[in-house]
Formats: sequence, structure tokens, C-alpha cells
Amino acid sequence: MVNLKIDGRDVEIAKGGTILAAAEKIGIKIPTLCFLKKISPTGACRVCVVEIEGADKPMTACNTPAIEGMVVTTQTEKLHKIRQQVIQLTLVNHPLDCPVCDAGGECDLQNSCYELGVDAQRFAGENLNHADINDWPLIQQVPSRCILCEKCVKVCHELVGASALEVKNKGEAAYIDTVDGKPLNCEFCGSCVAVCPTGTLNSKLFKFKARPWALRKTPSVCTFCPSHCQIDINTQGNEIYRITSDDEGTTNNGNLCIGGSFGYGYVNHAERLTRPLLDQKPVSWDQAFDKIVEGVDAIRSTVGSQALAGFGSPRLSNEENYLFQKMFRVGLGSNNIDSEARFGTLRAMQATETVLGLRGASNLLSAIGKSEAVLVFGADPTAETPAVDWQVQNACRRNDANLIVAGMRKIKLNKFANVSLTCKPGTELELANGISRMLYERNLLDGDYLNQYLENPEELKLHLDAIDIDAVCSKTGVTRAQLEETADLLGTAKTVSIIFGAEITKSARGYEKSIAISDLVILCGALRGGDAGGLFPLEEKGNMQGMLDMGLCPEYLPGYQPYAESRERFGKVWQAELPAGGLDAIGILEGIEAGTIKFLYLAATNPLTFPNANRWRKALEKVDFLVVQDILPTEVTKLAKVVLPGASWAEKGGSVTSLDHRVRSLEKAISSPGEAREDWEVLASLFARLQKQSISISRSEILAEVSSLSSLYGDICFAGEERNRPCLKQPYRPALKGFHYQTPKVEEVETGLQLVSGKSIYHFGSTSTWAAGPLEIESQGVISVSPADAAAAGIIDGGRAKLISRIGTTSGSVRIDPNLAAGLIFAPYHFAELGIQGLFADGCNRIGVQLEKV
Amino acid sequence: MSEVIFSSWGRKIVDNRQGQPQPLSELKIKLPAQYLEEGEVKGFIGWDGIILLDRTVDVVAMAAEYMKRVQEKYCCGKCTPGKKGTKVLQDTLARILAGRGQEEDLQTIEDLSLLLDSCKCTLCMTAAIPVFDTVRYFRDDYLAYARGEKTPADGLKYADKLTAPCMDRCPAHIDIPAYIEEIKDRRFDESLGSIRRNMPIPAVCGRVCPHPCETACRRALIDEPISIMVLKRVAADHEWMHHKQPPMLPKRSKGKRVSVVGAGPAGVTCAYYLALEGYSVDIIDMLPEPGGTVAVGIPDYRMPRHLLRRDIKIVQDLGVDIQFNTKLGRDVSLRDLKEKYDAVFLGTGAFKSKPMGVEGEDQGYEGFSEGGINYLRKVALGEPIVTPKRVIVVGGGNTAIDCVRVALREGAEDSILVYRRTRKEMPAESYEVDDAEEENVQFEFLRNPTRLIHENGKVVGVEVVVMELGEPDDSGRRRPAPVPGSEYVIPCDLVIPAIGQDPDLAYLDDSDYGIEQTRWSSIVTHNGTMMTDNEGVFAGGDCEYGAMTVVLAVGHGRRAARTIDRYLSEGKAYLDQEDAMEDVLNNFGVFDKVEETGLVGGLHREHQPKVDGHERAQNYDEIELAMPESQAVAEAERCLRCYRVGMIAVG
Repeated sequence: MVNLKIDGRDVEIAKGGTILAAAEKIGIKIPTLCFLKKISPTGACRVCVVEIEGADKPMTACNTPAIEGMVVTTQTEKLHKIRQQVIQLTLVNHPLDCPVCDAGGECDLQNSCYELGVDAQRFAGENLNHADINDWPLIQQVPSRCILCEKCVKVCHELVGASALEVKNKGEAAYIDTVDGKPLNCEFCGSCVAVCPTGTLNSKLFKFKARPWALRKTPSVCTFCPSHCQIDINTQGNEIYRITSDDEGTTNNGNLCIGGSFGYGYVNHAERLTRPLLDQKPVSWDQAFDKIVEGVDAIRSTVGSQALAGFGSPRLSNEENYLFQKMFRVGLGSNNIDSEARFGTLRAMQATETVLGLRGASNLLSAIGKSEAVLVFGADPTAETPAVDWQVQNACRRNDANLIVAGMRKIKLNKFANVSLTCKPGTELELANGISRMLYERNLLDGDYLNQYLENPEELKLHLDAIDIDAVCSKTGVTRAQLEETADLLGTAKTVSIIFGAEITKSARGYEKSIAISDLVILCGALRGGDAGGLFPLEEKGNMQGMLDMGLCPEYLPGYQPYAESRERFGKVWQAELPAGGLDAIGILEGIEAGTIKFLYLAATNPLTFPNANRWRKALEKVDFLVVQDILPTEVTKLAKVVLPGASWAEKGGSVTSLDHRVRSLEKAISSPGEAREDWEVLASLFARLQKQSISISRSEILAEVSSLSSLYGDICFAGEERNRPCLKQPYRPALKGFHYQTPKVEEVETGLQLVSGKSIYHFGSTSTWAAGPLEIESQGVISVSPADAAAAGIIDGGRAKLISRIGTTSGSVRIDPNLAAGLIFAPYHFAELGIQGLFADGCNRIGVQLEKV
Repeated sequence: MSEVIFSSWGRKIVDNRQGQPQPLSELKIKLPAQYLEEGEVKGFIGWDGIILLDRTVDVVAMAAEYMKRVQEKYCCGKCTPGKKGTKVLQDTLARILAGRGQEEDLQTIEDLSLLLDSCKCTLCMTAAIPVFDTVRYFRDDYLAYARGEKTPADGLKYADKLTAPCMDRCPAHIDIPAYIEEIKDRRFDESLGSIRRNMPIPAVCGRVCPHPCETACRRALIDEPISIMVLKRVAADHEWMHHKQPPMLPKRSKGKRVSVVGAGPAGVTCAYYLALEGYSVDIIDMLPEPGGTVAVGIPDYRMPRHLLRRDIKIVQDLGVDIQFNTKLGRDVSLRDLKEKYDAVFLGTGAFKSKPMGVEGEDQGYEGFSEGGINYLRKVALGEPIVTPKRVIVVGGGNTAIDCVRVALREGAEDSILVYRRTRKEMPAESYEVDDAEEENVQFEFLRNPTRLIHENGKVVGVEVVVMELGEPDDSGRRRPAPVPGSEYVIPCDLVIPAIGQDPDLAYLDDSDYGIEQTRWSSIVTHNGTMMTDNEGVFAGGDCEYGAMTVVLAVGHGRRAARTIDRYLSEGKAYLDQEDAMEDVLNNFGVFDKVEETGLVGGLHREHQPKVDGHERAQNYDEIELAMPESQAVAEAERCLRCYRVGMIAVG
């Protein structure tokens, strides 16, 4: 600790702390302009100058570390004059266009002028301001308003890692531009706009739309992905104008991605579903509900409840998913409920549960940032869960962590990696085995730890002894040296985070691959606990964790209580006899095809985004009674008997559970369009009608019921609901002898040209394809092809290509991506027009294809 | 002989405008009388004042031009007073010069000059100092402009240069503040890019450079100097530890060929910059291994061989060919090279051990090494060599220290360094002496060998005489003198003399190349062009200077590459403005070791972790471990970014 005196008052601060931080600690306000706590100090504006005993020159408080015995004065005539003159200089050639400036009313420069009483200008200089830059997508840059604080440059480089911006030119001509001088081409996270203290960087979606002071801010949670960043929904009337996030007090530190910053456009979309539809014609809610009940009753009385099925959704809240499964199990007497988790998350969850006794992530996301080594395996955190990307960078940048990025595709995070293990498509299991074997071979296992936690060390030895590194290398395409380096980095780190995602979980062998990674987790000691390291299976859909926690699958009741075993107990509480058995997604699909499933309820789910989409399309066409509850018209709503218009996340309350098990509440900022209703209300009403009784259900009652039924949510309370503070689910702790090493089953991997689908960094499910922001960056699904494969097929960048798999065919425009290895084609799944999911077999993300020029 | 009319340099006012000018040398200021072929040097304006050597210099015009260049060419724009303040100053001065100034403008200039004291770095801050001086001491000139009585007429030309004390002191003139700031900004790749503009072997100079820059670090004036060398290693290691491909690409082929003799720091550097310019470069080297003295003279525990090889592989990847085991004068003659190539660069180093001048050293006794450099080379190349139990190394330089430490690793139980002065006078880097001591090297100070003791032609000891320090000699070190009758014998099995190396220029003997040599048998080159008397033959590094540092060799190699480029494209080896001003400022001196900075410090310099002395003496693993990047960022935060601009007026 360091002791110093500021304005005559004693203050103690941790070594390395700045004068500014020390002053803040005792409530002394030193004026600042370019200072931003979450990035390194820049010292550009010089407004925070202070006088230090022993120094002739004024020194800046923001970046001068406090020294033992320092005596600081923050307010003197001389300092005031310097500050005033510096602001005067800042205003030289600064346009006084405050009336039409987007920052007007929330401009730090305005505020500084006001606070420091700068009411006159004595300096003048030739105006060398660069012209406004209007050709960047989504963001406008007005250099004349720039004070060159570099907040945008630093946030982009130090937190987001896109490193898209820099200071160009010298002297008065200096301005912020893209590094390559071309129109901005980045992640479009909007962080630069968010941190800009003036009206230099503006969101084009927001420009000239509203004055900041006229906006109402509703604290809520972004549910585009399960990072669950804390946001403020800025509204006026019944419209969202922008999304902001505070640096202080949020787990995301004020950072957002393109989804958070620019993805809100679909909420106020003109084509929102506003009225219930029956046979595509508007009807009243009563008519719609009556029709559903009538249909259900007819089917139940003729073929029985087993002909009813439904899909819940990660787009719905915990309460809604809870109600959905309860409505099905109690109100409809069917356990045929599932979700898209079947084709991804559930595979990972079943594997981690088997090996580690863990369902979902083992630690908070911040634990990634504090670890000494990070392995990102078959995941693209930038696209799937941007907050994980930021944490990985935190680890590398602030904690000197070593990073290994493994997978078939090179991703953004590769640029920070110490080792890039780019493997042949589909060989992730072999690669994980190779790393495990190398840890073993190089004596990097922690024997004491394994003795304590591993139940079956003999299985481990048996498995690892049998792995041949040379075979691993030839299968995966990585080198022995790379595996050695990986093992050394993982094996010598005290804290390790392992992150895996869609390329693992959504693949055909997703369960086995997840087993192999879970084994590796044991060997690395990633679950040693504490506030650093852990296992983080990624999922890209907002409330996937919460949905599964609520028991939305045939095998689990809420809190992962096994359905068969707990059926009776829940039946008693719910006062109903719960049906035996239950079909999963593929069972439901086959049931529809066989004509045994006659009623299907799709709550915020579009099966046409599932693999083998065309099989699903045919099935949906065949369903006797299709109910679709959604917010936007899709191909699926067009097939529905009854369409129920739901609410977007901004239009309702409810709790959601993040990837790292924080439970937060959504806050209603605007009301739903037309007659559309909050989804939990829709489900509650329908449930009541199915039960033939009037029951009133409130959201807090639902949550109380969840808590009473499952220890998982036992301690959840929303004492600070209005401040939107998260609560934490029961944290994971490995049990002694609780790890069960399992030998993953190895199968032959399909070779030849492979197509893999996945998430774009600019889109989220299919809702963002209705939002102007993401659409401006990526308006259609583009097929990414390696230079070698493109050349072989004679396709040029921007040309069109046809993809043919044994399941289906599609065509689309091509982008040649030098980061893709030859033999691999990537396409995003978001776009119905590209229909890439129609090329895959059930539940797979990868398939052999032919590539042809169109 | 230049004479001073006026000087405010160093805040000392010398005003001879009314009286007799005095010789510049009296002020201990070094400026050349002549600048290139452009004329006499008539004035200087820079970070600590102005110097006028001619009454005709228009001070107002000079100040206006200086501020214009500072603002337009150098000001980074990254702090408000710098960006805006120098612009207002530039425009104000320009307005005065155009006859549109007013007396109030002088007040603005004075106020702004004071305000610039709060700049982020010293570039714009120091630029205000001489301008302030001109207003203060040449007020009448300004007023004459303001009143329209004066118009610009002196017709002088100006040459300027951005520098910094560290950058100037570095023989390779690396833009140190730039690469440190890039580390501070966590832009390690960019930082390495800045280093590579002047230094192509950063992994080497990030480890074994004697870092003269750190002796010119202004941070030392308030606490401790920045770890400049280690920060260079951090930038270099970042690329290596992330398996990144260096981004450099050579320009289009210029169709000309250059031969480089010696794959040491000078040769490799010269080859690197020529290859980037589009020349086809072939290197020959007598060793089987690249790196010259770095490879065979610096032990692996200080400079891991694989990293040296990586630095040189990067040069090879630019298209530079290295032919090993090829010695100039033995396998190929300079004449051959001259015929085959458009230019030749000699970077042959200094590999000949100096004799000790003691009785018996020319008798070929078993147990008497030819020299430290030979001993280190044999070990480095893995040649069969047996190091006995008791080893004496004679000398006080880095080679001697390397020898005693290598001897320990080669199995010696007693490794003893004999030096005729005390530890304080040792030319070796003090941290290396400390390192050696931690590894259990024994020191015999104030001892000088007088005779080798042998039994049947095998060395069994060294007779030494006790020395006393007397008056300081030319080098400022106290001269040692023997104490008569104090001789005694230190028993040993091996004696390694390591008292210095000379270049071996035998390859010049096969013909009359007309290349002048010094009496220390080093090659003479001219006017900083690195060209010898033989047109098209250039030389640099130890063979030109005598045994010196890696970084000096790099500086030579780069300068030679620049002049070779001009020689090959324009037919003449000359210095451009950049080179010439680099030399002018280097001669002038940029670091002021008694400067009052007006700042407070109190922050300690960060150190990289080091393997324990006993443990490390067992093997050749690198003893200094990488500094974590976050620690490097904290160290970089300490940098004061001491940029400054100097400008001469020539006419």
C-alpha cells in the first residue's frame, strides 16, 4: 500500500494505483475528459493535471502512479488556468454544431466546458479537419468533433480485440480512421460509438432519431446469446431507439456486440405478428385458444395424448419454459417435449454430466479472464458468445495467459493464440485424445489431484496408453511439436479454462467429442475451482441453460430430475398423473412422418433452422394441427393452423439464466404491438383453458414453484430486481472421486470436401435477419470457400456456387476466405434463402459435399 | 571554425550580437561547419534553445519553419496541447512572418509555450522552448515583422531530424520511444515493426545488447532507466511465442547483386535491408553456423541458438542466401567477389585473439588456449574439447566473463578470472560479473600473469604479479602497476587468455585493393558512408571499428545498406538528409545528464525473472526468463517519450 496526501487529506491506495484513483477513493473530483476506467490511461486531454510537491511541471492524475509520501494539490489558480486553456485549445476548429449533434446533452466536452467555465476563445488556427466519413456501415465518423481521446481506438484494441481503428496523420490533421483506410470492416460491436465522449462516432441507426434526454432507459438483459450482457433499453413512446450499457456495475463492463448494439431492429419491425391467426386469418385470442383446446380434445379423445408434441425455446424465459413443460405434462398429458438443444447443448451436457457431474459451465465467465491458460476447442466465441471472446482476451492481455485455439476453422481468436491447432474437419475427438496423451507422456498430470477426484484411474491409464501420437498427427493434421507445446502450456498452468462450442456439440459425434474434452478437463485440472479457470461449453442461444434447467426435454423434469424416477413426485405436487415415456425431437419428427403425432406446438421455434430442414418442412406440412407461437411471420407460421403472436424480450418480464448460471430478469420497456401478448401470459391462459379452470398465475409464483421443486434454483431471489442484479444458481463443486473418466468411442471420420454450418458473428438465430443493423453488414447467407477449393471449382470471390450433399442441394454467392483450410466450406445457418440446413443429415453440422460453379 | 553570435542552448545565454563572436568550441557545443554539400551551418534550433553562427540568420523565419515542421511532420496529435497548441503557434508565427502579426501575438506565443509544459511527451513541449527564446531575445525582429518593416530574405535551407536521447545513443538509432509506446499500447507486432526499421535481429539485441541507450535514458534522472533492451525482447518473443509470420516483403527485384562477407550482425543486417530494397544478396561465412560472434562468441545461456537462428532465418526467407564454411581469402578472393557482384560488404568481425605478452605463451604448451574467442567457438560448435578441473581466464571484458562461465558448464570445478585492475574497472557489463559470481566463478583482481608454469610442456600454473592502481590513464581508468617481488603461482590445468580480439584482414593481402587499414588492423571507411577506399567495397562491424558491440555492427550494417543502395542506383555512395542529420545530432549530443526534468519519479524498473545461479551453471538453458507482457506494459508506462526535434539552418 502507498500513502499520500491529496488536498491535505491522507489517502492509502494499492501500489500501482494512480493519483486519480486515490482521489476518487476519498471523494476528491479531479476533472477528466479522455479517461475511461476500463482501458489503459491515455493522458491525451491533460485536463486532469495536478501539482505534485517536488515537481515543477504539472502532471496528469490519470496515469501518474501514486508514490509513498506524495503530496498532491488538485485545485489551484494555475491548474484551473491550464485546464481552461486546454479546453479552449480543444475547441479550436471544433464545430459548434451542438444543436444537431447526436451527443448534444450527453457530451463530455460540453460538460467540461460548462464545469470549467470556458466561455471565451482566444486561440485560433487553420482548420484542417478531415471531412465527415459517411461510407462506413452503421457508423458515421465526424472528425471535426473528435477530441482524439483515443477511447474508441483503445476499446477496440484492448477489450474487443478487433483493432480496427488508429490515429492517422500528424499534428492538427490527425484523425481517427480505419487501419487500412478502407470503410470500416470489423465486428461492428458498436463499442467505439458507446465510448465516444462527443458526437464523433455515431450510430447511423440512431442518428437524428431522438435527443438523449428524451429517452427512457429500462435496465434489462440482452438475450441474443447466453452471455446475457446487462443493458439499458432506450425507448421513446413504444419504440426502441438504441441499446446502451453502463461500464459500472455490469458484468459485461459496458461492452456489447453487434447484437446488443445494433440488433434490436426486429422488435419494432412493421411485419411483427400482431393478432392471433386461425387458418391464417385474424381471430380473437378467445377464438384461437378455443380452437386449440377443441383440437387437442379431439385428438386426445380419439388417438390419445401421445399424439401431442411441442417444442420449447431458448428465446423464452425460465417462467415461460417452465409453464410450457408443465402445460404439456399436466395440461396435455404428454411428455413429447423437446427443443433444439437436442442437436447440440444436450449432447455436451450429457457428456459433462457423465464424466464430471457438471451441467453447463463450471464457473463464472470472469474466471476465464483470470486463468493462466485457455483452450478454445471447436468454438467461435466471437460469434457464439462474444462475452467469452472478451474474457479470453482478458486472460491473454491482462493475465499473460497462454492461448490454444483448436478446431477445423481459423477464427478471430487465432490471432491471439500461442498455438493454433487447426485440425482436419471432424477430427476434434482424436485431437483431444492427442492432447491428453501428450499431457500424460510429458508427465504433466497432477497425481495428487487425480487421486483425490478421479474415481477410475485405471480407465485413464488404459485409454491414454492406447493412444498413438503419430496416428493422431496423421489423422488430425497437427504436428507433434504443436501437441507438445499445447501440453506444456496447459500442463504447467495453475489455472486452465477450456471452452468448447458448436463445432463439437452440433456435430454428429458431439457426445463422444464432449466426452473426450471432459476427459481432457480432468487431466488439465481445469475444475480445480476458485475464481479462475473452468469448463465452458458454449451455446449460442439466449436462454438455453434456463430452458433446460426448467426441464424442457423428455428425460428431465425441472432441475434435471430424471423424468422416469421423479414423475410420481412431481405428479403429486402438480396434482396430475404425468404420462410415462416421451419422445425427443427425432422421435417427434418420426412420429409426424408416421402419422402418430398429430398436434405440434412450436413455441418460438423454427424447425426449418434445424439440420435436415427439408425433412422437417415436409413433416410440418403433414401435421394435422400445428400451433406456432412467435413474433414474426416465417415459413412455419404460414403452415400453422393457429398462430399466437408473442412478445419480444423488450416487451416482457421474466427471468433468464446465462451460460454461467447467473439468473437475471428481463424488464418490460415497451408494450407488444397490436394484440400480441407476453408469452408466459399466453401459456398461462392456454394452460388454464386446458385445465378447464380459471387459474391466475404470476411470474413470481412460477419462480417460487421452481425454487420449491428444485434445489438448483433454491436460493434464487430477485431482491434487487429493479436494479437488474443477477442472482447465482447453486455453484458447481466437483465431488471427491466424482470424476468418472470415460474412453470416448472412436469412429471413422468422413473425408473429402466438407461443408460445415455455424453461426455468423453478425447474426443471431433467425430473428436478427429481421433487424436492419445486422442486415446492413450481412444481408444474405454467403458460402465461404478456401482459395484452393474455389480455384479448383473455378469460382471467383463474389461468384455463385452450388453445393450438393447426399441430403440436399443449394446455391448461393461465394466469399473466398483465406483463413479456411482447403477441403472445408463454411456457411451460416441463419438465412432461409440459403437454406444451408437442408444439406445436412439429422442433427449434424457437417457433411461431404460437391462444390460446383453456377 | 564556427563562431557563436547568440546561443540560448542549455538555458545559458551567450549574446555576442553587439560584440565579438566567440568560438563555438568554447561553449562545448559540437556542430559541423559544413553540412553535406549544401553549405555552411549557420544556425541550430532545437529542444534546449537556439544557436546562431551567422548574423544573417532570420530568427523569426527559423522559428516559424521549426514550428511548422514540428506540427506537420512530427507532432503525433495525441495530446491536446501538442496537437492544437503547436498548430496555433505555427499559424501565429506564419501570420507574423507574412506581415500580418500584431504585438499581442507575442503574448499568445509566450502563454502557449508555457502551456505546452503540460504536454503528454517532450516533443511539442521542448519545441516551444527555442520559440519562446526567440520571442524573448529577438523581440525587435518580431516587432519589425509586425510593423511591416521586415520581410523574409535570408534564403537559408533547413534540415531537421526527430530524435530522443535513447534513440540517439543507440548505435542502430532504433526509434525506441515508438516501440516502447507500442508496447504500452499492447501492440507488440507493431512494436517489433518499429524495431525492425533499424534492427533486424531483435531476439538477439533484446538479450545481449549492452544497451548504451539505457545510459541515456531520461527516466534515470528521476528514478531508474527504462528496461529498453528487455522490452525489445518482449516484442520479439511475442512474435516467436505466437508462431507469427513476420510481415516484411521485399520490394521488386532491382536486378543487382551484392555480396556480403560474414553472417554476423553487421553482414546479416546489411543483407536484410538490401534484400528488402530488392537486391539479390549472397552471404558467405567461414563458420558452419550463422550469427558470427553472436553464435560462437556468446554462450547459449545468454543467447539461445534457436532464437538466433530464427532471427537469421527471417533474413534468409527474404531471399538472402548464406553459404557456410566459405572463408574470404581462403575459398574465395575479394577480387572474385568484386567481379561477380555489383557491391561487396565486408563484415568479417574480429576473431584474432590478442597476445598476453607473457613468457611461454608462444611455446605451444598443452593447457594453453589460443584465446577466449577460440575456446568459446569450439564449445559453441560442439567441437571436441576437454575442459579440465581448474581453469584460469585472463581478462576483464565480456569474452573473459563468458569464458569463465562456460568453463563451469564444461565441467571445471574451479573457474578463476584473473584481472589486472579491480572489479570497478572491468569493461564487462556489471550484471554479467554479478551473474558469474552467483554461479561461483572465482575472481583474482589486481593480478597480472607474468609467466606460464609448465611441466613437460603441460601447463600447471600461472605466475602472477600483484598490481596496484595508480593515476588514471587515457580511458579514465586508474593505471595498474606491478608491485615488485610480489610474484606467486596460481596452479591450474588450463589458461585462457581473453584480453581482446583484433580483426583478421589477411584476405586483403592477396592483391593491392588500396583499402586503408588502421594500426589496430581495422578497415577504414569514409564519412559515415561505410565505403572503403576501394569503390564498391564497404565494411562495417568489428572489422571496421575493432571488437565492439552487436548493436554497433547492426548500425553499421544498416547504414552500409542505405549507402550501397544509393551507390547501386545512383552511382554514388552518399549520406542522405536522414543519415547526415543523424550524424550531426549524434555528434552534437542529445542526452543531458544534468537536466532538471521538473518531474517526480519513484517507480522502480521492472526486471525479468532469472534462473537461480547454482541451478543455471549446470547447463546452457537461457538464464533470463521472459518478462510477462503485463509487466512489460507497466515498464513501458514509465517511459517519458523524450522525443525532440533539432533543425539546422544552412546556407
